[in-house]
Amino acid sequence: MKKPAFEKNLFLLGIGAFLIFSVGATLTTIIPPLVDNTFYKSPYPVHTYTNQELKGMKIYQANGCVYCHTQQIRHLKADQIRFGWRLVEAPASQSWEYVNDRLHFLGTKRTGPDLARVGGKYTSSWHWAHFKDPRNMGEKYQTQYGRFQEASLMPNFYFLSDEKIKDLTAYLQTLGRNMNWRKSPNGENLNDYEN
Amino acid sequence: MKPNTASKLLIICSLFYLLIGISLGFVTAMKLIWPTIGEIEILTFGRIRSVHTNLVMFGWLLQSGMGLAFFILPKLLHTKLYSEKLGVVTCGLFNITTIGSATLIFAGQMKNIEYGEIPIPFDYLTVICWVMFAINIFATVINRNVKYLYVSVWYFIGAVIWTAFVYITGNIITQLPFIAGINQANLTWFYVHNAVGLVFTPMGVAIAYYVIPKTLNTPLYSHKLSLVGFWVIAFVYVWTGAHHMIFGPISYWLQTVAILFSWSLIIPVVAVITNFLGTYLATPKEKRYLGPIAKFMYMGTIFYLLTCLQGPFQSIRTVNIITSKNDWVVGHAHMALLGAFSYFAVGGVYHVLPRIIGRKLYSEKLGDIQFWIMTTSSVLFFGILWVSGVVQGFLWQNMNGTFLEILKMMKPYHTIRFISGSLIIVGFIIFLYNIMETLWGKAQEMKDVEV
Repeated sequence: MKKPAFEKNLFLLGIGAFLIFSVGATLTTIIPPLVDNTFYKSPYPVHTYTNQELKGMKIYQANGCVYCHTQQIRHLKADQIRFGWRLVEAPASQSWEYVNDRLHFLGTKRTGPDLARVGGKYTSSWHWAHFKDPRNMGEKYQTQYGRFQEASLMPNFYFLSDEKIKDLTAYLQTLGRNMNWRKSPNGENLNDYEN
Repeated sequence: MKPNTASKLLIICSLFYLLIGISLGFVTAMKLIWPTIGEIEILTFGRIRSVHTNLVMFGWLLQSGMGLAFFILPKLLHTKLYSEKLGVVTCGLFNITTIGSATLIFAGQMKNIEYGEIPIPFDYLTVICWVMFAINIFATVINRNVKYLYVSVWYFIGAVIWTAFVYITGNIITQLPFIAGINQANLTWFYVHNAVGLVFTPMGVAIAYYVIPKTLNTPLYSHKLSLVGFWVIAFVYVWTGAHHMIFGPISYWLQTVAILFSWSLIIPVVAVITNFLGTYLATPKEKRYLGPIAKFMYMGTIFYLLTCLQGPFQSIRTVNIITSKNDWVVGHAHMALLGAFSYFAVGGVYHVLPRIIGRKLYSEKLGDIQFWIMTTSSVLFFGILWVSGVVQGFLWQNMNGTFLEILKMMKPYHTIRFISGSLIIVGFIIFLYNIMETLWGKAQEMKDVEV
């Protein structure tokens, strides 16, 4: 068999390897945001993070929370029900909801539950107790599932200062609230940023 | 400077990170059983997990690959490495980078990119190292004394070019101020997937293309298959990043494209595997599996085939519902980087290091023992991760169990994972001991150094 020319020409080999790679590289990284503008622009109002929430986001990043918690409700009934709230299904995550996230934390592994719509589900004092010791949250938060709390694999974040826990909680409370999904039985909106 | 100084230095340094990297893996596995172990800030799960992946991928696999390339390329091209000095400086800078980035990650300075946690300035330094490495490689190829380039050379050249673009996209472009949200996520998974596919795959395959025919003393099975394998992988690998977000918040068509190209990946993989196994089959039966090198390269090939068959299947939407976001993913990633490419690297080091220093390997027997310990325990390790992944995947579909109840059921799997993982570490420690004895012990001088 006659050998192809690139086998004795470094330049041809290099250019060929680059060009053939760049076809897919361009079409999967540069083209998608041009075709689908929800990658960077939202047709609906999206929450702008406050300074405190941005600090919380940095703490989330520094401790690698993303390696155990995803932030995406997949378009699957099971995800929507499991990460819903009091029998209300969580809406699946949409690309426009993330446009203000300078740091994305979509994640690949759920050692702990998904956090895409955790905002507002628990009170800030619940988060406080949970960060201090996830396996023993004290009298106040004993539930019928309390005995399973000991199965939690989450690290104790006792080393975070009180201020840092507040920042982190402020960030967590924003998650998933770009969609107005939690309503009380009489149809009232529960999407306040207060608790 | 003596020939192969840079190569020797890179390989020895890489072994140090292998030891640290797997030890951190040991700690993460332990934390899944006893989460309160090592409860201090720098040993938080998220941080040691990131240092573990970084040291194993960049400190060990990439660095040993660079060292092996510095030995293999001049051999294939009948020339000397362009500059030993540049190689040694590259090694020094790369080690500063690796240690510095691990320190900063421990201190809580990581980026939000999986496998790209290395913070500024060390990600920029890595790029500088890579440019220095590239100059050395290209100049060596230009100074060659043979006309035709062997297939290992193609893969090394490909790895040099692709790594540069993949690394810069993942570590630098994702951090640009206008890149946010899903756009950043898309670039992240472009990087994550191609870090394995267009950095470690071409490196590992290049090593295997050299070591397998050399150690079996049999010519390569087919030149045509090498052509198919190389050019098709260059084209199809890069399209598949979005299969990490199936059912996720990204364009449906992009997910479909990623799935289709995941399937077309079977073509180059099967071409490469057929070529390797064909070379094995062309060798007389009694000489096929002699010594640790032939065994490691053979088993690495098998793991490479399995991991690359897993990929297409787990990208199918219905399969992905069950296998995504749980331990299955961990098993898959370990089979690629530990099973396939670390096996190739171990085989490569066993082949190359004794030839550099002109001494015999301390003990072939120990190498065989290491092989059997590592292979049996890693099959168990991967297997238990898949089983627990599938079990957890199905339990998550059933709304009767809470998340914590399901997590509690995972305890036995986590325990087996810890035990089998520890055995893999025992295997690696035997490897390190064998290499140390070869380097500094009373190993025999090699009689006639045939290289």
